[in-house]
Amino acid sequence: MKRSPVWIAGLGVVSAAGGNVRQTLASFAEGIANPSPRLPFESGISCPTFQVRDELPALPGRYNQSRSLRLAMKALREAMEEAGISRFYGETRIGVAIGTTVASQLNNIPFYDAYRRNLNPPLDPVLDYLSANLAHAVGDILGITGPRLTIVNACSSGTDALGAAKHWLDTGLCDVAIAGGADELNRVAIAGFWSLGVTSAQPCAPFDRDRAGLNLGEGAGILILESDSHLRRRGAKSAFQLAGFGAACDAHHLTAPHPEGRGLNAAINEALAQAGVSPNQVSFINAHGTATADNDRAEGKVLERVFGPAVQFISTKGYTGHTLGAAGGLEAGFTLLGLREKWIPRSAGFANNADDIPIAPVNRRTDISGEYAMSTSLAFGGNNSAVLIRRVT
Amino acid sequence: MSCPPASILGIGAVTPVGRDLSTIAERISGPIEPAEILRVSDDLLADPTSSRGLRRADRFVRMAAIAAIDSFANADFKGSMERVGLIVTSGFGPHGRGFKFLDGILDCGDAEALPTDFSHSVHGAAASYIAGLLDLRGPSLSTTDFLFGFEQAIVLAQCWLAERTCERVIVGAVEELGKVLIECAPRLLPAGKTFPLGEGAVFFALGPESAGGIAKIDASAQAAAAELVIVDEPMIFAKPLPQAKSARTFSPYFGHTASNSAFQALGGLLSFSNARLLGSPVSTRPSPLPSPGVPGEGVIDTALTFRTSCDSSASILITKTRRYQ
Repeated sequence: MKRSPVWIAGLGVVSAAGGNVRQTLASFAEGIANPSPRLPFESGISCPTFQVRDELPALPGRYNQSRSLRLAMKALREAMEEAGISRFYGETRIGVAIGTTVASQLNNIPFYDAYRRNLNPPLDPVLDYLSANLAHAVGDILGITGPRLTIVNACSSGTDALGAAKHWLDTGLCDVAIAGGADELNRVAIAGFWSLGVTSAQPCAPFDRDRAGLNLGEGAGILILESDSHLRRRGAKSAFQLAGFGAACDAHHLTAPHPEGRGLNAAINEALAQAGVSPNQVSFINAHGTATADNDRAEGKVLERVFGPAVQFISTKGYTGHTLGAAGGLEAGFTLLGLREKWIPRSAGFANNADDIPIAPVNRRTDISGEYAMSTSLAFGGNNSAVLIRRVT
Repeated sequence: MSCPPASILGIGAVTPVGRDLSTIAERISGPIEPAEILRVSDDLLADPTSSRGLRRADRFVRMAAIAAIDSFANADFKGSMERVGLIVTSGFGPHGRGFKFLDGILDCGDAEALPTDFSHSVHGAAASYIAGLLDLRGPSLSTTDFLFGFEQAIVLAQCWLAERTCERVIVGAVEELGKVLIECAPRLLPAGKTFPLGEGAVFFALGPESAGGIAKIDASAQAAAAELVIVDEPMIFAKPLPQAKSARTFSPYFGHTASNSAFQALGGLLSFSNARLLGSPVSTRPSPLPSPGVPGEGVIDTALTFRTSCDSSASILITKTRRYQ
């Protein structure tokens, strides 16, 4: 199917690496990870987390109770500013696709504790939760009425949101789509990953020999995608395209990736084929790289198989932690920034090659050249997705 | 511009009035005792897989998986499983299991809660089981929405099919009635308002428009005229209802869920195969629709689900292509 270009008109990011693009690039240039040794709430678990310390925008009414929504709106405002869009005008052809995990669940422990003790607790936490469906809330705040999807594909949610938005644009359902992911740190998610035995008590070390698991983080990465005709019509310009997207399921296990990365391999091939690009045209990959034993082993095998032993790749989770539903949006943004700045940072946390991974990430700031770069995501449920970003020269 | 309609090739449903489609059709054509809660019978949730693939699955996953498996069994697909996509939508997700994980935190501490409760508490658990049981290796997506999740899932499935990303897409909705929801929902309603809460799963196996099938389905266009309009009742008539020969609701049979439109669409599809309209007539105030019972109203070829909130609405148009056998 012949597709018109899908342009990336604006990008906004917020994570522990920085409250915007400029701060994030500064962190990347320093190459220093900065996890907090403590959780931001009371818990029986002790592990590093990556926290956002920037001030978040105040939102009206119950919207203000959702930290994930406020993170999304902070990133969105930066993206709109870059896109040269000050406001939307109630158009029906503007879609919103946002991935998340925490905002989709009523994980309010004080409320549930009071409920269990028959204390008839006030329902405000329930009403807050009902108000915080991210795509709906963003659409309502902006006053736009196009398609809305809140995607809950666990750790690939943000990437899958970009894919859904690209499908809307490719088929002509939308002129503009707001897409990405947002997630906040949450006590229940931390307990969950701890229970699975995949949380490290030390700062995470993606693809490293001594990797011991992930650190959770929070943040948001939002991209404004725009059709070629709409971008031209409003006289705007962009140098970046969302050139390809692929997704495939392992159909293997509820929480573990396929050991040979079957689904990830298919997702990468689909994204490349959609853009008509061969692997040797891809200048670098922003890998999912969670620092868990299984993820990094499977992903490393696939990257070596598809792109060859000299592939240049990074994991940025050493700067942000694993931001779950936000990760795909953030890392697509970081991929774009690598193409734009023509360098990628060292993989924070990586020190020693791993025997079970045939390739190693870049361990110093590395200049890159080329037109294409890819971001990959793997997730609970066996979901895998990949986005290919193009810098138009 | 909108996507081409998709073809409905298979239907699977697990509902408070049954799982077998002919049983459901029979039950939704007659009177029903008013009830506050309409639950799916445990008898319908036995593991249909020879591999005991659902042995660890909870109620949420079982409802979804059984409906999805039934829908795909009717689709008669012989192609590559890498070309089959999956979209599962739910408003509240597996919240019963989510609260069970919170029980673990409260009773045993953050570090001692059970991993199986956590892994089954995420929205994507149902899709993961379905993909594994059917070996689906195309794109797999879970979405959440309290109003229009099923409509949006159908739209995306139409996109996947139109772009030939997939040859088939299994798309469905699942909702589970957990104890917290049952107790909180009445407190969220205006005083004096009640309606039955429901649960269950409805899945359709979709193919491209050219694939034939029982009916065509399209959620990408704005509400169009249809012979039958299917609405939630009681609903807020914030927007005028689309014009139609008749109006019906299936909510008294299936109960109300965040994914109501999936169940309403099921009712519409089953109406195609009957000489008379199924479901319950709707008081159409204030919309000027003909009163139920006009001659010929039992034979319909088009049905439109219509759901509205205070400031938006969504619809799904279903068009009959041939009668059920």
